[in-house]
Amino acid sequence: MYAPRKFKKAFMAQLLVSLRAAGQASKSMGLRERRDAVRLSSDVAMALASARAGEAPRSTAWARALVARHAAERRNEALMRRIMGGAGYEMAAAAARSRKEARSRRIVRRSRRVCSGAERKRRSSLTAASGRCSAMAAARRMVKARLQVLRSLVPGGEALRGLSLLSETLDYVVCLKTQVELMQCLCKGSRPKLG
Amino acid sequence: MSGHRAGRITDDEISELISKLQSLLPESSRRGAAGRSSASKLLQETCRYIRSLHREVDDLNNRLSELMATMDGDSPQADVIRNLLRLL
Repeated sequence: MYAPRKFKKAFMAQLLVSLRAAGQASKSMGLRERRDAVRLSSDVAMALASARAGEAPRSTAWARALVARHAAERRNEALMRRIMGGAGYEMAAAAARSRKEARSRRIVRRSRRVCSGAERKRRSSLTAASGRCSAMAAARRMVKARLQVLRSLVPGGEALRGLSLLSETLDYVVCLKTQVELMQCLCKGSRPKLG
Repeated sequence: MSGHRAGRITDDEISELISKLQSLLPESSRRGAAGRSSASKLLQETCRYIRSLHREVDDLNNRLSELMATMDGDSPQADVIRNLLRLL
């Protein structure tokens, strides 16, 4: 079960921890580096807090993917280690590596399909059927296209299908909204009402 | 919320997710003839909304990083940020 108050508390606490680490690290940083450090801090804080958003620890694909995305860049290692601890960082870095491999495998599989002409046969058999019912086929294609866009917007979305994509999207949007709310409070310089 | 299901996905589960998603989107995108909302429209609105949230987060990240840059200074803002982050 998702628990908003628990999530907000965990998120705010984690945000402060992360920003503190980023602040210390960024003393000698240029503008762009500091911005990246803050972005990393708020993203990782959101992902870590979401794991504590329920009655029991939970793990979402988007949170793992978001952390892995930042861990994939070597220059983020020091800051991430400070925020997540060594063990947490090692897991994230390992996830980043396996994601990279999975992505390459997907690309190879897809290009093999295309090259073998199987893709062309598949498409031509689809259009044969759709000639009878072109409106529905067009609607299906539209939905498919929009799903692809959604996949590109949700972290880790490329690896998700159908129902899990939808449920991950739901979770991700809720967390994004909270991220905006909490960061607005920080920028205004006030503590948010968490209760 | 997620989990691997061995059985078939029920229509109920799909419509529950869809209505939850719809309730998350801002009011303005829900206006219009009831029942006209299609899967495609819902997905389009969701993508649009996520993009706008990303933009807001980017903007807030930038503002926060600027605030942190002023932390060594004397402004009331700097005080607040310092207090919040307890870096002094």
